[in-house]
Amino acid sequence: MSATATAVNHPALPEEIGAPTPARPRLLLLATGLVSMAVAVGYSALVGIYLYARAEVLHSGEQWLPRGVTIPLTQPNMMMFTLVFSVATLAWATSAMRNDDRANFFIAVGMSMLFGFAYIAQTGFLLTIMELGVRDDTRAPLIYALVGTHVVLMVAALAYLAAMTLRALGGDYSAKDLEGIYGASLFWYTTVGLYLVLWYAVYITK
Amino acid sequence: MALTDTRPETDAPVATTIAVSQLDAALGSGDHKTTGRLWLGAGALMLLAGLAVSTAAALEGVDLGSSTVVDDQGRFIQLWAMGRELLLFGGLVPLLIGLATFIVPLQVGSSSLAFPRGASAAFWSWFVSTDLLVVAYIFNGGPGGGRNDYVVMWALALSGMLLSIMWALVCIATTVLGARATGMSLDRVPVSAWGFLVFSLGGLLALPILVAQLALAYIDIKYGFLPDREARTSLLAITDTATLAPGLYWVGVPVLGIAVEAIGVHTGAPIRFRRAVMAALGLLGLTSFGAEFFAFAGRGRGFDFHNGLLVVSLLLAAVPVLASLALAGESLKRGTFKVRTPLVAGLLAGLLLLVGVLVGILGAVWPIVTFIESQLDTNVSLDSAFDVNGTSYHDGLRGLIMGAGVLGAIAGVHHWGHKVWGRSLDDRLGLLTALAAAGGAVAWAVGGVASGFLEQTRLPLSVENAKDGVEAMNGVTVLGTALLAVAALLLALNLARTAFGGGSANEPWQGATLEWATASPPPAANFDAQPIVTSALPLIDGVGAVATTDASDGSEAEAAATEESATAGGSD
Repeated sequence: MSATATAVNHPALPEEIGAPTPARPRLLLLATGLVSMAVAVGYSALVGIYLYARAEVLHSGEQWLPRGVTIPLTQPNMMMFTLVFSVATLAWATSAMRNDDRANFFIAVGMSMLFGFAYIAQTGFLLTIMELGVRDDTRAPLIYALVGTHVVLMVAALAYLAAMTLRALGGDYSAKDLEGIYGASLFWYTTVGLYLVLWYAVYITK
Repeated sequence: MALTDTRPETDAPVATTIAVSQLDAALGSGDHKTTGRLWLGAGALMLLAGLAVSTAAALEGVDLGSSTVVDDQGRFIQLWAMGRELLLFGGLVPLLIGLATFIVPLQVGSSSLAFPRGASAAFWSWFVSTDLLVVAYIFNGGPGGGRNDYVVMWALALSGMLLSIMWALVCIATTVLGARATGMSLDRVPVSAWGFLVFSLGGLLALPILVAQLALAYIDIKYGFLPDREARTSLLAITDTATLAPGLYWVGVPVLGIAVEAIGVHTGAPIRFRRAVMAALGLLGLTSFGAEFFAFAGRGRGFDFHNGLLVVSLLLAAVPVLASLALAGESLKRGTFKVRTPLVAGLLAGLLLLVGVLVGILGAVWPIVTFIESQLDTNVSLDSAFDVNGTSYHDGLRGLIMGAGVLGAIAGVHHWGHKVWGRSLDDRLGLLTALAAAGGAVAWAVGGVASGFLEQTRLPLSVENAKDGVEAMNGVTVLGTALLAVAALLLALNLARTAFGGGSANEPWQGATLEWATASPPPAANFDAQPIVTSALPLIDGVGAVATTDASDGSEAEAAATEESATAGGSD
């Protein structure tokens, strides 16, 4: 055993080890999984704080939403459908790249990103019609924190997908190597999953 | 010039080399070894700063009737919070991340850390955020702060520190999970690398909860929902779950991993029951996260420390610590005890952690008894002093766990110091450092726990309700934090001396794991050739290697060679 034990003078690998082709580590996908896990935990903590605060207010006999504030159902539902569609188009994109069909891949990714932008625009519109000033009430910061954090997550998901699409445009990724596409999709799906939590906890149960 | 013309003679092309200064290398390097050294150096300095501030805050308790360091309660709370945050997120965690960033890729046989530039970015963003945190406190920010803008700055800076730490943890976890050498299954990774994996996953599960609370706090502060200093004192609760036991047991996981590994190497008797130790580390990670989660979930309901599941987590945490130490004890029995810093510091770290989890159980006595009383409708008449919730008992317990963490970091830095700098740290100075740290942690704990049982509230310090002996116990706490600060100073001096050419150049000891198979410090791509392993102790059981044309990306295998000297014993 020496300090340079790997600089060995051995003639060949034993047969059972075989040719030394290193397995391609899926580091990006692994890291995305870990980040998605952390994001899900953090967002769940926010939702937990929100639900607890709401339960306390309701328990005291008060109304949760401040007087004059209403959360319409149409916009949140449309936002949910938008994001569900984006999941379908992103699955289409992944499937296209798996078949080396780059034309379909770019169309599908473009549609997914369009849905993402549409979601952000719809959120902005919803906040406008809710007429909830952030300084109005102690409950407003909670709602803004939940909605705002989710918009930030969507922006991050869009940026990730855009970066991977640019790499695909540059010639990266094919049916044999989809890691970046899978990574961006995983983060996107996590973001959509968290919207479903937001949709139910804030918009539906109010 | 026609093709048939004779080409004019020209000078042979001269290879151009780009001079890279040390500053350039430090600022722009994507090499995990440089990043690891930066984490270690900055972490040691911040640990010293955190302990100095903690000592200053503790001084306030020595004479409760007068002001010693600061002139009002709000300032005291700021000082106290600053010390606590700097100690954990500025000092101890960065030190552990520094060790992991440097050592883990070597241990798993990888040519690099996963996302090395990302890891470098994580260090620099943490560094800037930590500086901003200090600035925020200096300008009257932080919990209990008097200037709104600087309280906002505190929230942003602490979030920046946590996010940077989380990104560094992602890089470490991804390396262990996805960049291992051929033949190295997950159960063959060294115990310390496994500890760092559990530490990383635990951090990624627990720290986002803090960030979420900070996001809410940011909006609250920014939009005036915490209008005065008293209201801003509530911000202290945000970091409670992570900086106090049992959530703090999280840092015990890598400390135990380092301790067990150091014991195996320095006794000359590798750990026999590796998988059991790995399972124990996993369980400790699980219970510390569980405890933190339950503490978070229970907070606001007024029974944070009395939450049943939290108590179960407190009790469970003792099992893996005891098991790990018992399994490491088998190596001690089999091998030879050599008085070396890594072994002594590792042992002391393990023992302090054990005492810490046992003292933690002491804190669970009151809730358990109250529960039994309520269920059986009986009255056990337990002394109310056992109700330590909200007292300085928690700080005493924190002293034990932080002391164990500092000792673990000392053990790790001395164990791998030669690998990091190519020169060993001074072992005698290391022993002195370890003893100072252990003595400091014990004194801190004795002072804190004793004053807790004397019902001294944690914050604010109150002179009206102070019982006899509290001030003396607070003096013992000051002694403890000061001794720990001395240990941090000695560690920083030893590190600086070694980094700037001091220390011994001889390879002091050799372990059986892959990091010992390469030069000290390792070459650019860590290994001259890609290692192939066939057991958990490759340097005992035989390590193979694959030479590569370009080891930096490890992509093309050109020639192959291996060593199959499967000697008896030693495998897991």
